[in-house]
Amino acid sequence: MSTTSYDQLRTLYRTLLVFATVGIVILGIGLVQFVYFEPPGQASGVQARIVGIYQFDPTTKQTIDGDRSEFPRTVEFAAVVDWSSIPSNLIVDARWYDSFGSIEGQVGPGTAADLANDTVIPVEVPQGYHYVLPGRYTFVVERLSDGVPVEVLGRRFVVVDRS
Amino acid sequence: MITSTTPPAADPESSLRPRRYGIAIAVAALVVLALIASSILNYVYLDTIPGRASLYGLLTVALITLGTYILVRAYDRDRASRRKHLIRAGVLIGLGVLLWLLVIDVFLFTQSAGPGVAAICALACLPTTAFGLLVVRRMDRNHKEPWRLVLVAAAWGAIVATSLVVWGETIWEASAQRALVPGPGLDTSLAFMAGILEELAKGLAVLLLYLVMRNEFDDVVDGIVYGAAVGLGFNFLESISYMTNVYSIFSAEGFGWVAAGIQWYGRQVLGLFFGHATYTAFIGAGVGIARQLHGRRQKVLAIMAGFIVAIAGHFSWDAWATVFPIQNTLFGLVEIHLRTLIMTGPFTAALIALLLFGIRYEGQNLLEQMRKEAGTGQGAILPEEVPTLASPWQRLKQRLQAFQRAGPRGYLRVSRLQTAQLDLAMERWHRERKEIDTPLEAEEQLRQRVMELRHWVAA
Repeated sequence: MSTTSYDQLRTLYRTLLVFATVGIVILGIGLVQFVYFEPPGQASGVQARIVGIYQFDPTTKQTIDGDRSEFPRTVEFAAVVDWSSIPSNLIVDARWYDSFGSIEGQVGPGTAADLANDTVIPVEVPQGYHYVLPGRYTFVVERLSDGVPVEVLGRRFVVVDRS
Repeated sequence: MITSTTPPAADPESSLRPRRYGIAIAVAALVVLALIASSILNYVYLDTIPGRASLYGLLTVALITLGTYILVRAYDRDRASRRKHLIRAGVLIGLGVLLWLLVIDVFLFTQSAGPGVAAICALACLPTTAFGLLVVRRMDRNHKEPWRLVLVAAAWGAIVATSLVVWGETIWEASAQRALVPGPGLDTSLAFMAGILEELAKGLAVLLLYLVMRNEFDDVVDGIVYGAAVGLGFNFLESISYMTNVYSIFSAEGFGWVAAGIQWYGRQVLGLFFGHATYTAFIGAGVGIARQLHGRRQKVLAIMAGFIVAIAGHFSWDAWATVFPIQNTLFGLVEIHLRTLIMTGPFTAALIALLLFGIRYEGQNLLEQMRKEAGTGQGAILPEEVPTLASPWQRLKQRLQAFQRAGPRGYLRVSRLQTAQLDLAMERWHRERKEIDTPLEAEEQLRQRVMELRHWVAA
């Protein structure tokens, strides 16, 4: 067996191991990032009461009909939150996320007492669009710590049909 | 200097092959069980259209698995029975593909965008993916992989790997969305999901090729070719899926085709070699290096290293691509390209470094073996042929000369002779390194084939 060839194979092998070490560092950074945004031990036990998801009239700013989990794309909708279900000094916000993870409507952040008048949180139609985009929407009421959301106090999923 | 050598006998440990096949059967059985469990669970618990598609797709997966197995084994048989096996394989794969298209069209894409849109998206992705496979196969300058195996690898990536990840990703995604805070934490979790599950599913194909088709899996270069082919297959189906999805989302706003076109450009042009192809090629590189290592610990480490790099590359793109904001201006077009270059470019560059080093390593060793074979005086490789055989450009020049003299037939004959001579050099290389389990007669058969082809070319 040629010694040169064997050394070349070892070089390939060691190079791959170096790349793998870089890979482990990357995955490690990912893990640290995950822990930073999802810090352990953040369960406060507080539950936000989401009264429901309703059809929303943007002209009157009022909700219509009953609680639903599915809407046609031509209809706007909003979540109604009972802020009194949360301790008044807690820093919170409420957000709508579309299926791409973009924020499509928000109130807060502020204390639950500050947000007491913002009980209706509608989904916003993106600028330049006629209607909301179809897909799965997530509504969350979040507790913040140092400006970073650390805990979900309430969550609802809504499907917007394509037709 | 040309020296005469007699290659040592085949590795006496002939039990190697059955043991390898045993591992391959175990891996394949696990894959089938995972697919069955995934499909049933999807159907029972998800109650969605993709769940049904997954269940009905099982027969397709079985047909394609059986068909490809018969196909790749057909070439190990004698000429008389090969045709019969090729026909069987063709019928099974054809049925599988038709059934798959039916399932996909009717239950998945028809629901979101309609069969017409799905067909147009598939047609748009075909030439780019075919171009990708052509380039990837040509990367092996010295010893090209057979098309049948390159296509099998791509088919696995497109059909089996995508089916394998459905259930795992559905569970992970649904659990994460119910448990985590939306935003960077959730995005990181989903990036881990895609990196781990998708690379494992794709990597299994490379691992099975290594276990079952050892004779066509020579070294790091072959591993990179097969890995990239699996990645291109996966990218093909994923592109269709994303294109039809964004079409259905944006078509009501009047720019469904623009959205689908952007997806096509991002995945089939800009990301054709940067994304899945690069990641899975790293798995192939690991398996290819392991193929030539002797210690079991080193083999396992090499394979694991390939998987880790692939997972890390995939993860970094999914988790951090959004760190580079894309402006809604004309400069955004430049930013899209820069983002791909900065995020995935280093991985692709590292892979190219491994590939170039592997090609050089392979080339030097083939040259050495060609010289040794020429030195035996058996006539399969003549001393004056060695410089031509060692250079891809010289080989091409020789084929073109044959084309000028005798047309396409002349080109083809010289091409076959060159391939057979390189096969012989490759066989000698593996035998010298004791990393082959075929008997010495196989090498003599290769030598005979070269002699036959030489007479044929001369005639």
